Amino acid sequence: MAMTLTPMEQFEVKPLAGMDHPLFQIAGHPIYFTNQSLLMVLVVIVASLFLTLTVKPGRLVPTRGQSMAEASYEFVANMIHSATGEDGLKYFPFVFSLFIFVLFSNFLGMVPGSFTVTSQIAVTFALACLVILLVIVVGFMKHGIGFLKLFVPHAPWYLLILLIPIEVISFLTRPISLSVRLFANMLAGHTMLAVFAGFVVALGSAGGIFTGLAIAPMLLIVAIMLLELLVAFLQAYVFAILTCIYLNEALHLHDHH
Amino acid sequence: MAEPLQTSTEAPKQEGGFPPFKTETFPSQIFWLVITFAFLFVVLWRVAGPRINGVITSRRGAINSDIAAAEKARGEAEAASAAYQVALAGARARAQGLAEENRQTLNAEIAKAKAAAEAEAAKAMAAADARIAATRVEAKGHVVKAAEEAAIAIVARLTGEAVSPAEAAQAVKES
Repeated sequence: MAMTLTPMEQFEVKPLAGMDHPLFQIAGHPIYFTNQSLLMVLVVIVASLFLTLTVKPGRLVPTRGQSMAEASYEFVANMIHSATGEDGLKYFPFVFSLFIFVLFSNFLGMVPGSFTVTSQIAVTFALACLVILLVIVVGFMKHGIGFLKLFVPHAPWYLLILLIPIEVISFLTRPISLSVRLFANMLAGHTMLAVFAGFVVALGSAGGIFTGLAIAPMLLIVAIMLLELLVAFLQAYVFAILTCIYLNEALHLHDHH
Repeated sequence: MAEPLQTSTEAPKQEGGFPPFKTETFPSQIFWLVITFAFLFVVLWRVAGPRINGVITSRRGAINSDIAAAEKARGEAEAASAAYQVALAGARARAQGLAEENRQTLNAEIAKAKAAAEAEAAKAMAAADARIAATRVEAKGHVVKAAEEAAIAIVARLTGEAVSPAEAAQAVKES
C-alpha cells in the first residue's frame, strides 16, 4: 500500500507554513500560530459575524439567518432557564459563548481539510477548567463557606464518612469527564472518517474488482458524516447543559433534591 | 499509539506520538484559546447578545401590543354588535307597532266605507221601495179609472143610461 493510513495525522498541531518561528515566548514556552490557531480565529470570526450581521435591530420578521441566530440565542436561554432557573440567566453570555464556540469548532471541523479545534484535549480541558472555576467562584460568592455543603448529602453521619469523599472525588473529576467526553467524541468521529477515507483510496488504487468495492466505504463515509453532524451539535449541547447543571448546583446546592 | 509519520512538517517538534497528547503544543493551544474565546465572549456579551435580545424583546412587545389592539377591537366590535342588536330589536318593535297602527286605521276605514256603502244601499232600497209604492198607487189609480170607464160603458150598454163619472167613481169605490 503506497498510501499509508495515517488517521491521526489530522490531529497534528503544527505551525502554519512559513510561520515556523515562534511569535514570542511565554515563560520560556514558544508560541506558534498553528493550523489550530487559524481555525480558532476562523471560528470566532465566523460565529461573531453570523450572530451579529444576520440580526438587524427592529427587523421583526426575521430572515433565514436572523431566525437561526435567534433560535440559537433562545435555545441557550431556555436551556439555562430550565436547568438553573431565573438567577442562572446572569451567566448567559458565558454559557452562550461556550456553546457557540464548541458548536462552531465542531461544525467547521467537519469541513474537509480543516482542523477540529475540539479534538484537542488541551482545548477541551481548558474550557472544562474554566467552567469548574466559574462554578467554584459562583458557589463561594453565593453561599460563602456554606458552598462546602455541596459535598455533604442528606445522610446519617456514618454514611457521610463514605459519601463525602465520593462527592469530593466526583466534583474533582468533572473537568476530566466534561473535557474527555467532547475530545473523545470528536477524535473518534474524525478518526473513523479518516480510516474509511483511507479504505476508499486504498481500494480505489488497488485496481480490478477492488476499485468497484471502494464504493462501500464511500457510502459509509456519507453515513458517518451525517452522524458526525449530529454528534457535533449534540456534544456542544451536552457541554452547555452540563455547564448549566453544575452552575445550578453552585447556585442552589442540593435544594432540588 | 505510535504510528509512522512520513510527513516531515516544518514544525520543530518531535515526530510520532498521539498528537493531542504532545505537550509541547499546549502553550500555543492555550494561548490562542484564551485570545479567541475572550474575543468571542466579549462580542457575544456586548454586541450579539443585546442585539438579538433587542429584536426578540421588540417582537414580543409588538406581538403583545397587537394582541391588545386586536382584543380592544374585538371588544368594540362586540359592543357595536350588541348596539346593533338593540337597535334592530327597537326598529322591529317600532315596525310592528306601525304595522299594527296601519292595520287598525285600515280596518277603521274599511268599516267606515262599509257603513257608508250600507247606508247608501239602504237609502237606495228605501227610494226603490218608495218608487214601487208610488207605482203601485198609480197603477191602482189606473185600475180604478179603468173600472169607472168600464162601469160607465157597461151601464150604457145594458141600460142605455148615461152615468156620470162621479157616480161611477162612487159606485166603484163602494164595490
